[in-house]
Amino acid sequence: MTCIEHRHPRHSVEAEKLFHLLWRVVGAPQDQPNVMACVIWPPSQHWRSLNRENDSTQAGSRKPSPPWWRVALIGRDPRVTFIRLTITVVLIILIRQFALIPVRVKGISMLPTYKDGRFSLVNRLVFVFHSPRRGDIVAVRLRAGENVMLMKRIVGLPGETVEFRDGELYVDGQLIPEPYLKLPSDWNEPPKLVGTNEYYIVGDNRSMPPVYHEHGCAERWQIVGKPL
Amino acid sequence: MKRWLLRVIILAAICAAGYWAAGVLFPSPERVIRKRFAEVAKLVSFSANEAALAKLFNTQKLSGYFSPDVEVVLDVPGRFQNSIVGREELVRAAVAARNHVTALKVDFPDVIVTVSPDRQTATANVTVTAVIAGERDLFVQELKCNLRKLSGDWLLTRLETVKTLR
Repeated sequence: MTCIEHRHPRHSVEAEKLFHLLWRVVGAPQDQPNVMACVIWPPSQHWRSLNRENDSTQAGSRKPSPPWWRVALIGRDPRVTFIRLTITVVLIILIRQFALIPVRVKGISMLPTYKDGRFSLVNRLVFVFHSPRRGDIVAVRLRAGENVMLMKRIVGLPGETVEFRDGELYVDGQLIPEPYLKLPSDWNEPPKLVGTNEYYIVGDNRSMPPVYHEHGCAERWQIVGKPL
Repeated sequence: MKRWLLRVIILAAICAAGYWAAGVLFPSPERVIRKRFAEVAKLVSFSANEAALAKLFNTQKLSGYFSPDVEVVLDVPGRFQNSIVGREELVRAAVAARNHVTALKVDFPDVIVTVSPDRQTATANVTVTAVIAGERDLFVQELKCNLRKLSGDWLLTRLETVKTLR
């Protein structure tokens, strides 16, 4: 009888002894050169417990396990921990620089859509695949940098004329419904032509006088991304 | 192999430390100007329980960051629209503003400095944020500042508000 012996590298001496015992039990001769063995993978609960006992008893051939606080601090293998940490930091930097920016909303100009103190993430990549659209809430950077950005909604697209009459938005003379507006508004702003590379942005909270509310035309390069 | 690697790491650490020390001992004009702006922000800010003497002291100290012929052009609709010429007038306006508001926290989160080739003048584009006591909204404004090196110090010669949105 030609058989195959397969031994898993973690098989303990006790497991092997038990196997041979079983083999004797089933009546197979001891001097058979090849023994048909069961493939012990995945190991059963019994084999696992035997291996665990074997690991702990064969202290001479294995290193003592490090203390729990060291494992918690630097892991079982410091080199692997260091590599994982480096990869994690690089990924965070790349994501922060090119994909997602964590932001905290300050102010009330976007109430009730965005409340003061809310955390969000700005997706830089969304406008790679399409241009900003009317109704999009966008993060707009200032000239000096991106540590502070305006968060407003696009209501006018390039080339359009935007005006407010009695709190209502008119684009090219047409009334535009704004279901996201929940607070009353009585704004009256003269028509403004949006430039070819500009977008008209305004906040959702128009219950404050327009003179206190930052709104107007932002250039395309100022639009950083869209909050999630 | 390990010894060689250790030597490389030590050399890299020494180079990094040297670079850091050079930055501290011989800072670039850009770094100096950014530090000046941070100091201005601290002096302009005040809390509700600030003593009158401290208010006066900080206002006087603030004047040291401006040139004698400083020009400040402010155009913030709904808040202030005026021009201030001269350091003395600026100090008077600062004192009046402190009496008008109970507390103020000013910060310059973004400062972009461009130094001229002669390293005697510079331009800074700055974002100012201010938390004014009693107001829920954060005040954000862009400023364009001109600086000049006078007697070894970078002094502000002109400040002008810039409209973020057209």
